[in-house]
Amino acid sequence: MTELPSFLSRWGAEEVGPHRLVIRVEKDKLRDAVKDLVSADEMIYLSTMSAVDYPERGVIELNYFFWSVTEKKGIIIKVEVPRDKPEIDTITDILPGANNAELEAHDLFGVVFKGNKSLRRGFLLPPEIVEAGIYPLRKDAKGV
Amino acid sequence: MAKYVEVPVGPQHPALHEPIMLRVKLDGEVVEGVDIVTGYNHRGVEKLGEKNSWVRDIYIFSRICGICNAVHAQTYTQGVEKLMGVEPPPRAKYIRTIVMELERIHSHMLINAVMAEAIGFDTLFMLIMRDRERVMHLKEIITGQRVHADIHIIGGVKRDLKPETAEKVLRVLDYIEARLKHYKKVFEEDYTIRKRLEDVGKISKQEALKHSLVGPVLRASGVPSDVRVDDPYSAYDELKPNIVVRHEGDSLARMLLRWDEALESVRLIRAAIKNMPKGNPVPKAIKRAAGKGEVFSRVEAPRGELIYHIVSTGGPKPYRIKVRTPSFNNIVNSGFAYIGERLADVPVILTSFDPCISCTERVLVVDEKKGLRKWVPFMALSRGEIRVA
Amino acid sequence: MGMDVRNKLIRYSPWLVHFNTGACNGCDIEVLAAITPLFDPERMGVKLAPNPRHGDILIVTGAVTKKAGERLKRLYDQMPSPKAVVAVGACAISGGVFAGSYPLVSGADKVIPVDVYVPGCPPRPEAIIDGILKATKKLEGGGEGD
Repeated sequence: MTELPSFLSRWGAEEVGPHRLVIRVEKDKLRDAVKDLVSADEMIYLSTMSAVDYPERGVIELNYFFWSVTEKKGIIIKVEVPRDKPEIDTITDILPGANNAELEAHDLFGVVFKGNKSLRRGFLLPPEIVEAGIYPLRKDAKGV
Repeated sequence: MAKYVEVPVGPQHPALHEPIMLRVKLDGEVVEGVDIVTGYNHRGVEKLGEKNSWVRDIYIFSRICGICNAVHAQTYTQGVEKLMGVEPPPRAKYIRTIVMELERIHSHMLINAVMAEAIGFDTLFMLIMRDRERVMHLKEIITGQRVHADIHIIGGVKRDLKPETAEKVLRVLDYIEARLKHYKKVFEEDYTIRKRLEDVGKISKQEALKHSLVGPVLRASGVPSDVRVDDPYSAYDELKPNIVVRHEGDSLARMLLRWDEALESVRLIRAAIKNMPKGNPVPKAIKRAAGKGEVFSRVEAPRGELIYHIVSTGGPKPYRIKVRTPSFNNIVNSGFAYIGERLADVPVILTSFDPCISCTERVLVVDEKKGLRKWVPFMALSRGEIRVA
Repeated sequence: MGMDVRNKLIRYSPWLVHFNTGACNGCDIEVLAAITPLFDPERMGVKLAPNPRHGDILIVTGAVTKKAGERLKRLYDQMPSPKAVVAVGACAISGGVFAGSYPLVSGADKVIPVDVYVPGCPPRPEAIIDGILKATKKLEGGGEGD
């Protein structure tokens, strides 16, 4: 019915538990993967995007969690961006539902999503924290 | 010449863990665009979670939302149980399910009551709230608390369900079921309610999926997606809930769908009490450290899919916990649904997304040309008593 | 005695202004429950004010985020005197489980003067009504309640 199985084998998905699959991609391949996924299965939505800071590896890991309504599978696309230059292309033009997740990761982790026009600090944070240039959910954040 | 007027709605409007402000741009009475401003309720819960222990976090995360606290506790504990390799006893799963379904009934009653109030039907609001107290009472006799259930602990529940309590629950459920059916009929047949809700804030299937809307909003647009069925947790794999789907995609469909879901919850609670396994649901000792790993834990909250990303590097504290509440998607991403509607319908559409409640909602009407700023009650706006043009 | 009677005669029907400063909504649904038929505070003249300028008693719930704190101060200033403030729930009293988190001021009394504290997480509707009645004592006699 859907092209999802061929998508999963094309991108080397690895099963990590019941209803959960993980795909690891390079950051410049993220848009291709998302475009491919959306065309493979039209009953899919981006559930959330979770950022995790790993200072010892020098990266911030972004976990895009998609849910396929018909196939009943959670597809996690993992991307790493360098901590010193946390930039990645936006996917809001493909899936506008990514907007809130990108705004949140920008505000709390300082990840820049290139091409997202509504990106701003203070989406969640009070002005004092923004003015002090603190990204509170980074592991080395001071004063929070 | 078009005269644009900007109307901020809120921020004294608590939408789950981020009360928001809608900055509505108007051309006459018609909405041209909506800006959503958040952050009034950002409490830094995720950072707090990293600082506290696995066990203490249950209480912090269940206090993200007072209305759906048991589902927050469920999402968190089931994720942590997976990381710790703990399996709760079957009876504990059933008790958790009963508490979560009671929560769904009272939450759905609450938002329908708030909708009644938003469209000026105060009597209906009071009636639904009166009957909702029965559900709160059931929650209290089962968990010991009206609002914050706090019944989840790692590896089970805090207290058993006594047979006499279960009997009382079944008795009160009969009353609640009759009232739910009555209110559903009111929403289906009342002329005023239909006039205000029908065809207002229509969302198509594709739009709902594209903008990541979840829960009743998604199902009212014809997408059969329910975590309890698709990705079963707790006792749902045995209880087999039915997915309620509607295809209209308007505000009325979203409200009627909630009545149907509440009735389905009544059925589930009855089935859970009937098929409750024997055994001791209260664990003797609580595990306090987790191994390495990460987990995406999903639960169907009353407002839709609730998802936690829990990362552990081993030890007594979590490394990272990401919480995505259903309202974070449903409210922040739904700006498109207001465009082309009338100002008086903005509160109706917002309420139909179930953004939690407040009776102090207020609206600041700004007429940029005259430099006029005027505070008006949100309810008066919804009733069309305020003219801004 | 004479003063007492006069106070009774001209006593307020206290109207409430309810403000959520970053609560989990637990206290808010209990405040809402407290004004509905089962508890029926309207027999004491208590009802929600349509506007802060008509309000006598400010009910504060929530841990008071920095962003909401500014709003709380403004709302308090908009209310006419005499006025009383009731802090409902552990969060409004001290920040509750969220105390010490970075976006919070943790406690309504850090921003505005509080007259009555109603503890609980959340307090029962009966306790909230009791807190409101204690606050009316301040409005009636200018006293501090009991």
